[in-house]
Amino acid sequence: MLNKKFISLALLLAIALAGCSSNSSDRSDNTNTKKAGEPTQELVYATAKDINDMNPHLYQGSMPAQGMVYESLVENTADGIKPALAESWEISKDGKTYTFHLRKNVTFHDGAPFNAQAVKKNIDAVQNNASKHTWIKLSSKLAVTKVMDEHTVQLVLSEPYYPTLLELSMTRPYVFLSPNDFRNGQTKNGVNGYHGTGPYKLTEHKTDQYAIFEANENYWKGAPRIKKITAKVLPTGETTYLALQKGEVNFVFTDDRGTDSVDVEAMNTLADSGKYQIVRSEPMNTKMIVANSSRSVSPVADKAVREAIWYSIDRGTISKELFNGKESPAESLFSSNVHYANVDLKKRGYNLEEAKKLLDHAGWILNKGDEIRKKDNHELKISLYYDVNSSSQKAEAEMLQNTLTNIGIHLELFGEESTSVAKRRATGDYDLLLNQTWGLAYDPQSTIASFTSQAAYYHTTSGVTKADELYKKIDEVMIISNEETLRSLYKDILTIVHDEAVFIPITNGSVTIIAPSNLKGISFKHTQFELPFEKMYFE
Amino acid sequence: MNRIHYLFKDRLALFSFLLITTTLLVGIFAPWVAPNDPQEVHMNLRFASVSWKYLLGNDHLGRCVLSRLIYGIRPSVLWVLITLAISVGIGAVVGFVAGYFKEKTDAFLMRICDIMFSFPGYVMTLAIIGVLGVGIENILLAFVLIKWAWFARIIRTSVIQHSNAEYVKFSKALGTSSFKIMRMHILPVTLPDIIVTSSSSFSSMVLQISGFSFLGLGVQAPHAEWGMMLNEARQVMFSRPEVMLAPGITTIIFVSAVNFFTDALQIALDPKLTPIGREHRKGLKQRANLHRGEVA
Amino acid sequence: MNKMSRYILRRSLLAIPLLLVISFITFVLNILSPMDPAEVVLHAQGVPQITEDLLAETRTALGMDQPLFIRYLNWMLSCLQLDFGNSYVTGKPVWSMLGPAFLNSLKLTVISAVTVIVLSIGLGIICALTEGRWVDKSIRGIAFFLTSMPSYLLAALLVWYFSVKLDWLPTNGIDSVQSYILPVSVITISYAGIYFRIVRSSMLNHLNEDYVLYGRACGLPEIRITMRLLRNSLQVAVSIFFMAIPIILGSTVVIENLFAWPGLGMLSVKSILSRDFSIIQAYVLVLAAAFIAVNTFSDVINTLLNPKLREDS
Repeated sequence: MLNKKFISLALLLAIALAGCSSNSSDRSDNTNTKKAGEPTQELVYATAKDINDMNPHLYQGSMPAQGMVYESLVENTADGIKPALAESWEISKDGKTYTFHLRKNVTFHDGAPFNAQAVKKNIDAVQNNASKHTWIKLSSKLAVTKVMDEHTVQLVLSEPYYPTLLELSMTRPYVFLSPNDFRNGQTKNGVNGYHGTGPYKLTEHKTDQYAIFEANENYWKGAPRIKKITAKVLPTGETTYLALQKGEVNFVFTDDRGTDSVDVEAMNTLADSGKYQIVRSEPMNTKMIVANSSRSVSPVADKAVREAIWYSIDRGTISKELFNGKESPAESLFSSNVHYANVDLKKRGYNLEEAKKLLDHAGWILNKGDEIRKKDNHELKISLYYDVNSSSQKAEAEMLQNTLTNIGIHLELFGEESTSVAKRRATGDYDLLLNQTWGLAYDPQSTIASFTSQAAYYHTTSGVTKADELYKKIDEVMIISNEETLRSLYKDILTIVHDEAVFIPITNGSVTIIAPSNLKGISFKHTQFELPFEKMYFE
Repeated sequence: MNRIHYLFKDRLALFSFLLITTTLLVGIFAPWVAPNDPQEVHMNLRFASVSWKYLLGNDHLGRCVLSRLIYGIRPSVLWVLITLAISVGIGAVVGFVAGYFKEKTDAFLMRICDIMFSFPGYVMTLAIIGVLGVGIENILLAFVLIKWAWFARIIRTSVIQHSNAEYVKFSKALGTSSFKIMRMHILPVTLPDIIVTSSSSFSSMVLQISGFSFLGLGVQAPHAEWGMMLNEARQVMFSRPEVMLAPGITTIIFVSAVNFFTDALQIALDPKLTPIGREHRKGLKQRANLHRGEVA
Repeated sequence: MNKMSRYILRRSLLAIPLLLVISFITFVLNILSPMDPAEVVLHAQGVPQITEDLLAETRTALGMDQPLFIRYLNWMLSCLQLDFGNSYVTGKPVWSMLGPAFLNSLKLTVISAVTVIVLSIGLGIICALTEGRWVDKSIRGIAFFLTSMPSYLLAALLVWYFSVKLDWLPTNGIDSVQSYILPVSVITISYAGIYFRIVRSSMLNHLNEDYVLYGRACGLPEIRITMRLLRNSLQVAVSIFFMAIPIILGSTVVIENLFAWPGLGMLSVKSILSRDFSIIQAYVLVLAAAFIAVNTFSDVINTLLNPKLREDS
């Protein structure tokens, strides 16, 4: 009894003292939108990471933020390529010249006109930094950008390349920054400002705290109705959940690394409270384990080990228990609704007996009294890297670790920041890592192109037995326009990586939004990296 | 022995002592005591509540919470204890050497200690994790690197005081070897100081380890550790607060017990009862308290 | 006074060799790191194909082929100008990330140190005056309990109660004055429990000193004796204050991560998990330097307050 009193007394004292010292008296409601009547057209979204460098021609920045500020010539939608900053375009017969007719009366946020010169300057700046853009094949095919007149631009390729429009539609790098922001005509060494043509302009940025985007009243599609969007940095899931409950933030979505900061159960609690709604996109990507086939010292260079791991993943349970059934089990790298991916592939379900048999056959033997299998005195020890900010990845990793222990594989787990995991992928410093495909707009062509890119999956694919054949086919697939041949090439490519088990699928992920229940107009783009904020509004 | 007897007259101290010993024993004999395999995943038992088979329920992967708590004693308490012992050991050797031989040796060793003192504990630990990578071994290594200097300094002070005593001078005059003098005459009288100092830094180390594991820098999956369990519970802290209870309460109780015991120990070895003199004791106690000053 | 200023000068000069050694250790720390700086730089530039020639070229460009000592000197000189190189991850200058974070942590630390002292002195005096009675016992009991609690647990409880349940305070961030209240309270509660015991025991010692007994015997009003005691404890307070600052500054890691406080603690953990060695190195150097500076300062202050201490140093 006494103790209770004293605890509360001590607490109150401490708080009173703290309050005095920071001389707080006014309690301004900075982000809360509790005013009666007209709803404030404001969104505050939580992000685990700072928006970082918003330079659209580099890869540091947050993609959803860049998607609000910058635009591309064309837009990729579920119904194919649609006009964006280019009103219309023509493609020459030989497939090497693209002529774009630009939208008139579009200005950058700083007032500079968007015209053919601006387009040329931007594309040249990207091309000038080619080494950074190897994953996007267009960067190696684009020969010249010509200004035809004030509103007409021509791109000339060195050879026909059919995914050109697709790659031009991506969030980066082929988007447009005001020429006034360039440094010495370049963007690769930093820029002076972040003025795009998009529906929102960046007005304030405090590193690791928040960034404010305000509506672009002169937006060519009409001013957006949500007037202010704040990106608030909240590194941990439970803080985000509390902030949502309190209304300090009112919007959360799956980030560009495929990580949900709030877990499924907390989401449901929020939805049950009536204050929030949960909106899910169609499946957009495949969450998977990527195996480093080229690391000859590691057991994962052995196809049998990779297959055994594939057989050891209980996708049904992961989908049901970890995701409450909100993500479906994935049996192949791309789900069959992805273009050209409707290929008949051998299904490897959850089957530990099969896994053991494969390992035994490959010479990884479990000796009596041992806990770990051995081959030529090498223990079957594998390291797996996951994104430390993703609770679902950690849970998946731990589940797999437990299953693998039972069949004599020792899996070591390492939680790191996603940038570090991505760096490992690029340098080949890993055995296994948890990853996801780049999603609808990029699958399959860009993801497949990235198999050959050092910055992406080169280390994953270069160790497979048919690597040369695989790379040859990938090169071919990019320049062929005959549907029939394309289909068979894709089939071959997908079959090779499937048989080699270098991409071990887990579930099909989607983008999830938690938003106030009175927010209308929530929709998705044809990519997991951007959201159409300009279509949303409060009622 | 008299003093120990005095110590156990204090019921709270006795209770704390029993609790600490039981915890240590349970930790040592974890495989026999734990009801289940702490790493066995049962996805169908995710967040299951208390049952006969799983006395404290199951965690986010359906693992037995009780067994994890029991196995968690090893890194959270036993490893910390071993680390402490190593740092006290190194500290004692350096302290004895410095305090006994004095002059140049002393000056040199104390300068090294000064250098170690200029790295705040947390910073040193973060630096070592930063370079060597995340993991409990590296945190413990950092602890040893930081703490030995503290013990060395405190033990040195105490040794200097005692080595000036008449009986030590007498032994020296008789030609007794330095080692023997240290072992026979100085060690027994400085032992209480060593015990008080090290026990008071024990609780702070337990809290720090749990803090680092809470941040994801300590023990790595699938091994159980109290801070790590709290970290896992943190993900569902507000939707399932009960998951936090078991590791949270365990930590609080254990650390409280250590604190109470340390306090009782200090009183039992009360300055008034010793011939060493009050001033010195006070300074020692104050320093020991400050040393504990880093909380998790 | 002359003697005093000589002491201060000597004490300050002592810090210099210490700083040199510390900086050298930090420098070596980076060499121990498992990454080749040349490779890191090339990766940061996004070079897709790293060849041996390119590596050698970059090493020369970075001055890595020079003797260790020269490299240390060069590094040291640029550090003195706050040039710690660029972050391996974001590519931004390290100081542009570390500087603001340092400031944020410092704000939190200084405010917390003030509240810790105020609370410690207050409770210490109350306990000393009521030694052995129930007030003393219960305050000490509660302090024991609170210091045995992992601070993140305490933080979680406070956030849940004051931010969510009562909706009084923000849950995180550094947007307004109110943002300080919760993190400062958590730090205060954790540390005051330790420091107030020092105040208490020092007070108790003074209570038994001759002048108090004499004063009492002479029938001096109790209030004047208490005032005298207060003045003595002020000295303790000042020395604790300066001792507490570096300790709190170094250990806000957990609190900052919980409250999304954009300070050094958050930055350092983020850098460790993304293996951003350039930031870790600068973090260690800056904090160790700050630690030495504050310690030197507090030693000087202590000596000024209590000349007796000087004799045995």
